[in-house]
Amino acid sequence: MTKRIAETILLYGFIGIGTTLGLAFLAAPSVSINAFESPNAQRIFYWHVPAAWAAFIAFGFLFVGSAMWFFKRSNAGWRMHVAGAEAGLATGLMTVWSGMVWGAAEWGVPWDWTDVRLNTFGLLTFLALFLVLGRQSQPDGVETRDTFSSFGLFGFVLVPVTYVATRLWQIRHPGPVIGGGEEGSLNSEMGLILLVGAISFTLFIIGHMLMSMRITSLEQRLESIQEAMDKV
Amino acid sequence: MSEVLLSLNGVSVRRGSSNVLKNLDLEVSGGQLVLLNDKNGGGKSTIIEAAAGIHPLETGEIRHHGNVILDSSGRSKQPQLAFGLTLQSDGCIGSQRVEEHILNALDVVGGRIQIDTWLERYNLTHRRHDLISHLSGGQRRKVAMLAGILPGFVGETPRLLFLDEPAAGLDEDARTALVEDLQHLRERGNCILLASHHSDFNACATHIFRDNELNVNDSNTSNVHEMVDIKTTSSQSGVVFRTGLALNQRTLSTLASNGIAGFLTLGMLLALVDSSAIDSNLIQASGLFLSAAFAAGLVGDSMVAMLHEHRALDWWKAHRQGIPNSYLHALILGAGLTALTQLGYDQDISWIIVTIGGLLTVSTMFVIRGIDLATSRLARPRAAFTRILTPILILPFALFVQWITDSNLL
Repeated sequence: MTKRIAETILLYGFIGIGTTLGLAFLAAPSVSINAFESPNAQRIFYWHVPAAWAAFIAFGFLFVGSAMWFFKRSNAGWRMHVAGAEAGLATGLMTVWSGMVWGAAEWGVPWDWTDVRLNTFGLLTFLALFLVLGRQSQPDGVETRDTFSSFGLFGFVLVPVTYVATRLWQIRHPGPVIGGGEEGSLNSEMGLILLVGAISFTLFIIGHMLMSMRITSLEQRLESIQEAMDKV
Repeated sequence: MSEVLLSLNGVSVRRGSSNVLKNLDLEVSGGQLVLLNDKNGGGKSTIIEAAAGIHPLETGEIRHHGNVILDSSGRSKQPQLAFGLTLQSDGCIGSQRVEEHILNALDVVGGRIQIDTWLERYNLTHRRHDLISHLSGGQRRKVAMLAGILPGFVGETPRLLFLDEPAAGLDEDARTALVEDLQHLRERGNCILLASHHSDFNACATHIFRDNELNVNDSNTSNVHEMVDIKTTSSQSGVVFRTGLALNQRTLSTLASNGIAGFLTLGMLLALVDSSAIDSNLIQASGLFLSAAFAAGLVGDSMVAMLHEHRALDWWKAHRQGIPNSYLHALILGAGLTALTQLGYDQDISWIIVTIGGLLTVSTMFVIRGIDLATSRLARPRAAFTRILTPILILPFALFVQWITDSNLL
C-alpha cells in the first residue's frame, strides 16, 4: 500500500480535477455580462487559479529542496528540487496556457508584456523549464546540483514578486483571489468550486512530486549500482 | 625553516558524484617543490586546482602566504600575492598570441621580465607572434608552462607556482630545461606544487606526495646554482580590459554574433513596421528604436564562449582579477544600432536614446554573461539551455520603454 500511495493520491487528484471541470462548466454561477467582456470564458478561472496555487506549492517545494541541497548537501533535498521543478513546469504551463486562452477572450490579447504578474509567472515557468531541461542535459554530480539549486534559490525571489505584483502594478490582472481582502471575495458557490479545485490540484501536485522523488531515488540507486559494477 | 606559503587544512572536494579529496592536510614552505605523482585518478589535478582556489570546498580552507583565500562556506579572497598557474588543459585562448598570453601571466602577478631568454630556451622565438591555435600541442603546452613558471622570476618575494603536468607532450630538451628552471625557481624561495608522472622531476623535487603522505625526496640530486639576476619592470595595467579589447578586435566576435542579431532585428523592423506607424498610438517609438540594441545584448558575451577553450575561463577565474569582456564593443554596437534604426525610420537622431541604446546592449549582455558564467562549472556548460532564461529581461525592457514614453524623452 505504501508503495502505491503516490499513485493513489495522484488518482484522487485527477478525479478531483475532473470534478472541478464538470462543476465549472455545469454548476458554477454565471457572472454578470457587465463585469466581463467574455462571461463564458470566466469559467477558465476554476482551472487557472487552482493550477497557479499548485504551481506555487511546487515552486515552494523547489525552493526548500534547493536550500536543503545547497546548504546541507541533502540527497532528499535534491530529490525535492527535481520533483518541484517538474511539477512546477507542469502546473506552470497549465496556468500560463489557461491564462492565455482567458486573456485572448477577456482582454483581446493572449499576452501583455507590461503586466508584471503575467510576466513574472511566465518567468517562473521558464525557470522550471530551464531546470528540467538543463538537469537532463548534464551528468548528475555536485557541480550540476550546486548550479541548478542556486538557480532554484534565486528564482524563488519571483514567487513573492508574482504574488504582490497586482498590488504594486495592477495593469490587467485583478487583485489576489486568496488573501486579497474585500477585493478578492467570492460568493459561496464560486468559493466552494474553487476550494474543490484547489484541493484537487494540491493532491495532484503532491502525488506528482512523490512519484517524481521515487523515480529520482531509483535513478540514484541505479547509478550507484552501475558505479559499483564499473569497479568489478 | 622557511615560511609556510601554502596550507590546505582539512580540505574535501567533491567532483561529479565522488569525493576526490577527503580531509586533506598539506603544508608547503618556500623553497620546497612538492611532486604529486599518484596514479591516474588519484586526485593530483584536483589538489592543484583546489590549491589555486578553482574548486569549491566541501570542508576546510586554503591559505596562501598565511591568508585564507577560500573556505568551505564559499568565502573567497584575492590572494595578496598572485601565483603562477599551468592547468592540465593549458588554460590559454586560441585567438591569443604566444607573447600575449605569457605577458598576461606576468601582468597578472604585477611585474614583467624579459621573456626573450625563455622563448629562445624553449624554441618559441620564431612563434612569439603566432596565434596559440596555430601551434602544435607540444608548443601550446610550452606556452602554458611558461605562463605558470615565469611569475616565479618576477620580483624578490617568493610566490606560489601550481603546475599541472607541465611536461606533458614536451620533448626531452624542453624537459631538461624545465627541470633546471624549476631548480632555479626553488632556490629563489618559490613554493612549487607540481603534478607529473615524469621521472625527470625526481631530480628537483624536495618532497613527494603520494597516497596522502608527504615524504622527503631522497633522490633529489639538484645542486645549488648560481643565482641569476633577473630585472623586473613594472607591469601594464588593465590586463583584463586589454585582453578583451585585443581579442574582440582580432576576431570581431561581438560584431559577428551580437551585431548580426542586432542587424537582423533592424532589417525585420524596417521590413515589417511602416515608418508612418511611429506617429500612431500603437507603436512606442522608443521600443522600436531600442529593439535592435536589445536583441544584440540578448546574444550574450561571445568572450565567454571563447574562454571555454582549453579551460581559459578557469585560468582567469583562479587569479580573481576579473574575466575579459566585450562591454566596450557592446556599448559602441548598441549605440550604433540605435542610431541606425532612427535613421532607417527617417527620424532625427536623439543622442539620449542612442546613449540609452548603447547602455541597454551592455546591461543586457552583462546579465546574460552572468547566467553563462553561473553555469560554467557544469560538466557540459554549453548544453545547459541557459537561453531559456533570456525572457527574464523582456519585462524590464517593456517597463523601461514605458518609462521612456511616459517621461517624454523622445
